[in-house]
Amino acid sequence: MKTLLRSDDLNCPSCIPKIEKALGRLDGVTHAKVHFATGRIEVEHDPERVKAERLASAVRDVGYEARVSAF
Amino acid sequence: MNIRRLLSRWRSPAQRRGTVALVAGVASLSGAASYFLGGPGWLTDALWLFAAAVAGTEVALRAFSALRAGSISIELLVTVAAVGALFIGEYWESAAVTFLFVLGGYLEARTLAKTRSALKDLLALAPVEVVVRREGDEVTVAPHEVEPGETVIVRPGGRIGVDGSILGGRAAIDESAITGEPIPAEKQEADSVFAGTVSHDGYLEIRAEGVGADTTLARIIQRVEQAQEAKAPTQRFIERFATWYTPAIIVMALVAYAVTRDAPLALTLLVIACPGALVISTPISVIAGIGRSARGGILIKGGEYLETAGRIRAVAFDKTGTLTEGRPEVMTVTPLAGIPALPTTGEDTQPRRRLLHWAALAESGSEHPLGRAVERALSADYSGPRADDFETAAGGGISARWQGRRVEIGRPDWLQERVDEWPDAAARALDEIRERGETVAAVAVDGVLVGLLGFADRIRPEAVEALSALRATGVKRLVMLTGDHAASAWRIARELGIEEVQAGLLPEQKLEAIEAIQRESGTTAMVGDGINDAPALATADIGIAMGAAGTDVAIESADIALMADDLGKIAEAVGMARATLNNIRQNVVIALLTVAGLLAGVFANEVHMAGGMFIHQVSVLVVVVNGMRLLRARPAAKGQASAEAQKPAPAA
Repeated sequence: MKTLLRSDDLNCPSCIPKIEKALGRLDGVTHAKVHFATGRIEVEHDPERVKAERLASAVRDVGYEARVSAF
Repeated sequence: MNIRRLLSRWRSPAQRRGTVALVAGVASLSGAASYFLGGPGWLTDALWLFAAAVAGTEVALRAFSALRAGSISIELLVTVAAVGALFIGEYWESAAVTFLFVLGGYLEARTLAKTRSALKDLLALAPVEVVVRREGDEVTVAPHEVEPGETVIVRPGGRIGVDGSILGGRAAIDESAITGEPIPAEKQEADSVFAGTVSHDGYLEIRAEGVGADTTLARIIQRVEQAQEAKAPTQRFIERFATWYTPAIIVMALVAYAVTRDAPLALTLLVIACPGALVISTPISVIAGIGRSARGGILIKGGEYLETAGRIRAVAFDKTGTLTEGRPEVMTVTPLAGIPALPTTGEDTQPRRRLLHWAALAESGSEHPLGRAVERALSADYSGPRADDFETAAGGGISARWQGRRVEIGRPDWLQERVDEWPDAAARALDEIRERGETVAAVAVDGVLVGLLGFADRIRPEAVEALSALRATGVKRLVMLTGDHAASAWRIARELGIEEVQAGLLPEQKLEAIEAIQRESGTTAMVGDGINDAPALATADIGIAMGAAGTDVAIESADIALMADDLGKIAEAVGMARATLNNIRQNVVIALLTVAGLLAGVFANEVHMAGGMFIHQVSVLVVVVNGMRLLRARPAAKGQASAEAQKPAPAA
């Protein structure tokens, strides 16, 4: 399943690999892509093993605001 | 006090960064004040150490979490530089570098969020809840929980939450979110409405057709974001540059230290290792340019098209539906002497209106486009009687019966055989109307000819102004490409001042025409309605589709999609593209000058850690703020002209 997160807090493109790697390390996440220009974060994950809210808090843990978004 | 609130402030990264920047800033400035005012040395040092600790911890924590995720971040370099500065006793440098880094990051995130907000306005348009009728009850649900086919209820002033068609009611609907049109559209039963639009004054029942992510609004947002993420050619080049910039600076710092044993120099290099301004220079302009256009109902499908659209030399137009309204309108009303008034109206009705009333009665049972045109020619509050019974003669006209009278409308040659007399006045009027290229319908009541109506596909009211605005943006060549016959094509072209017409073209011939224009004039745009013009739109360097709201084909096939049927938006889009292209160039120049200046300054020993961090952060903010200017840009010609037009004439 694909979950969309949004962040208004990305200020330097150097944060992209950091966030992608942090998400990629979570159990159940198969793919994570950060779009710097729009602040969109697309995550492919197994909702049984990792909940959408956990994804957002993983991004917050590396220091960036994030929330789950419907579209 | 409120520990829980303090805690939640601390957990939110953005707010924490603001607090950290504030505390560290106060501490370093107090330290500086103590230093210059001759305060005791221990106080100065303590304040600077405190500032470095507060801001440095924040930076170091982020560096550590990035390291755990397996990436070497800019934060790590700044941490190394700050700790190194402490070791060589440069407390001020350490405090200033970490404080400026945190403050800069905070400000950049805030300004960037503003730039991204062009879209957030669109996102906010989707209402949070909608009212649905389920088994007779009105239930409030989230918009994406509505099932297609259900009936959604919208009260006056309410925002519509789904795409659908009106089942009952009428209202003036503000569609500016979707089409960029400021004037509300009058909608009634069977008209379609979009999620994100607002019903001004009416109660509506709407059958839901698209919900949630399957609405025009959601698709526009998705499209705009994909466009903003699509990399412009300039951006791809710069990103390649940026990927080796940071490692190169780290190596340079190590080499510099190995050769000169100059620790401050090496640490300063680490501080300026983030190519921030450069990496952000192009995307920030593209985000702002595309976001600003989207707010005006112009969907530009990516940075690449922005760059190409900025170089347009020639524009080709489809005629029907693009330069014209694409539907017949009543242009001429010629009543004959002695026309009776409809018995349901007063005897004081003007002859012109009498003729329209009879024509509307004859057409009242039919779905013919000319009948709709007659309805539009009458005032909106007129509702006349309907025919009791009618017959349609294919290719001829309509013969309707009403209260024992026979009312007929149709082609003059068909009606000529059905009336007793064809007066000379009628014959002269007929020739006149035909000479203007209009289609003629004759009207008879009880076998007596009462008048003639002329119909034509009218030029869009904004067309003349829109074409001159386009010429003003630097487009030299305007061409009309049409499948229609030459006579009516030239009639339209003359009115618009278009000097080049290619008529009678099949879709693939339009494509060839575009290729010829490209060879002769360079970058060419084609404007069409997106469906029958698809091949030509695809061949042109920039395909522009009009009235794209609600038709996915147009949004898919075009490079620039105009949500509204407004030709004026073309000049606006080209103007916006030119402005964005300039903005990108300015930003790249600012960023390159900063990088070169910083490196030169560091090696000339003129720029130290705090100064280097300061210049770097300022350059990033300058680039972001320069990009943000695009959000306020009013594409010159069109904006001013229409603002002038709307202003009431000053009373003398």
